[in-house]
Amino acid sequence: MTGLALVLPPFFLLVFFILVPAAEAVLDTLRVERGGQIVYSLVRYAEMLRTISLRRSVVFTILVTLASVGVTFALAYALALYLRFSKGWVSTLLGALFIIPLFIPTVIASFAMVTFLEHHGYVATLLHTIGVEDTPSLVFNATGIVLTEVWASIPFATLVLLAGLQGIDDALIDSARDVGAGALRTFLAVVLPLNTVATVITMSLLFIGILGSFTIPYLVGGNAPQMMSVVMTNYFTNYLRPDISVALAALSFVIAALAGAAYVGGVSHRERGAV
Amino acid sequence: MRNCFRIPKRTTAFLAVVVVSVLGLYGIPARGQMAGVTLYISGDTNIQEMFDKDLLPLFERETSVKTKMVFLEHGQGAESILTKIIAAKRTGQQTDVDLYETQPTFIAQGSSEGIWTRITKDNMANAAKVDPNRPEVLVSNGFGIPYRGSSVVLAYNSKYVKTPPRTYDEILAWIKQNPGKFTYCDPQTCGSGAAFLYVALYKYGKAEDFSGLTYDQARESAWEPALQLLRSLKSNIYNNGFYPNGNVAVLQLLGRENIYMAPVWSDQGMSYLDQGLLPKDIKLVQVSPPFTGGDSAIAIPVHAEHQASGLMFLNWLLTSKAQTIVVNKLAGYPGIDWKYMPKDVRDKFAGIAQNFSPLPNAKYQADAKRLWQEKVAGSGQ
Repeated sequence: MTGLALVLPPFFLLVFFILVPAAEAVLDTLRVERGGQIVYSLVRYAEMLRTISLRRSVVFTILVTLASVGVTFALAYALALYLRFSKGWVSTLLGALFIIPLFIPTVIASFAMVTFLEHHGYVATLLHTIGVEDTPSLVFNATGIVLTEVWASIPFATLVLLAGLQGIDDALIDSARDVGAGALRTFLAVVLPLNTVATVITMSLLFIGILGSFTIPYLVGGNAPQMMSVVMTNYFTNYLRPDISVALAALSFVIAALAGAAYVGGVSHRERGAV
Repeated sequence: MRNCFRIPKRTTAFLAVVVVSVLGLYGIPARGQMAGVTLYISGDTNIQEMFDKDLLPLFERETSVKTKMVFLEHGQGAESILTKIIAAKRTGQQTDVDLYETQPTFIAQGSSEGIWTRITKDNMANAAKVDPNRPEVLVSNGFGIPYRGSSVVLAYNSKYVKTPPRTYDEILAWIKQNPGKFTYCDPQTCGSGAAFLYVALYKYGKAEDFSGLTYDQARESAWEPALQLLRSLKSNIYNNGFYPNGNVAVLQLLGRENIYMAPVWSDQGMSYLDQGLLPKDIKLVQVSPPFTGGDSAIAIPVHAEHQASGLMFLNWLLTSKAQTIVVNKLAGYPGIDWKYMPKDVRDKFAGIAQNFSPLPNAKYQADAKRLWQEKVAGSGQ
């Protein structure tokens, strides 16, 4: 009974403040007035998909999200491996340093990135001193969003992956070495498979987080194409078309649900493994 | 001892509350004799500073009428003030709002309720100096009087542009001849880019069709060629179609000579030039048809408590002396016609001392920005 009482407040919060309004909003996107009568129709979704700029925005969002997840994952995995298997003061120092972005608000990080990457910014100046005249545009485009998302996501990804890696018994790695496996072989045959759950969790949460992020794409992104979160806000407040905004939100929910399914699959895999 | 004091203190406080609320109910007796005027002003902090430090002290010195300003920063709460004025009218009471500066569309909203005084040269002499065709007057159904304005103008670098465009079409031609040297900001992030968009739309549909209060989405089909035109410019825009976010970003590009020409707000451009943030070679000029401008107007409730003082203040505000303060402080447009302004002021603003085009109404603005995003920026090359 006590357990149930503990669960009830968040449960009601979820139902009445998230699920019900969300369902209501999605139903609203389907309701269309036709000749004084309310009918259910997919016209708004059709309009959304007909609009080239919105189609491009959806594709852009997915590509930017996948690129950010990919780069973050690769960098975070390398960092986690180093922190797990290397001992010494460098490792300790890095272990403290990599956490820093976690404590910096995204707004500040985004503005910092803009001044860092912009046309006459730090990177361009640095490249100029070593003789590179024409720096490619690093900000107000996909590159800028990916760079900033990666910067902001690395701590979280590293923490989860590191937790997974620390659960791997040293004895398993030592025995792999004993039978003659090299570093790469040990990684591919032992570490990677044993860390599957952490991998799936990291990837799916990163994907959902970046897909729905607003501050970074809003401040660091360009005019077009824009990430879906920015487009939704524009349609909602600037263009006075909340219906299209909600239709886009419903679509992004479907995309996020795919990543959610992977997460649930990964976690239940772990549960089964535990039993 | 402490205990002894507690009760009297409480009683005093209680009495004070009673006295204040009774005064509040019946009004402070002396109020009728004070020929004060209560001004409700909205705008940015520069407007507040101008009233607090320059206009109000000068007015009080010259007329010995006391003023009280209620400032609505960025127009916050503007709609509830309108509701308050309407409520007072409906219940047959006076309102303490003697003068209200707000968006012309708000003034238009109240006009059907009959809450505004029709201001003509009969009840306010300086009304004769105001152009009745100003967007602020038209949009507010004739009840709003402009006293300050700001318009989008063309900024160009005279070092590189020897013969500046005089018309909108000449700007378009210049952009095509000088690829990469022009940009305008994303219309949803700034008014100067929006003005460039609206004038393109007005090229194919009359401004008056869109600046009024009526809204008919079907009329927007007239915009199609304008959107195609802007789309065709894309490859000639700075950095292959880069539209910066915000007015300031455009001014910075001009300042660094990355671009040679762009639409900017007259007041921002002027103050950037004054502060040396733009090179001296940058000139501001209005083209024909002009860019859009105007954002604020003054109206006086018919049931204002001190209506006569309100009219008196507005009349004073439209004298060339007060208008010169406004124009210099804000680097903007006067409310009265340029011909009533002193010559040195006219000379300083020579390039831009013309009228401007009206803004489309809020719904058309929202649609125009959306269509720009969908058909110009977001359409691909």
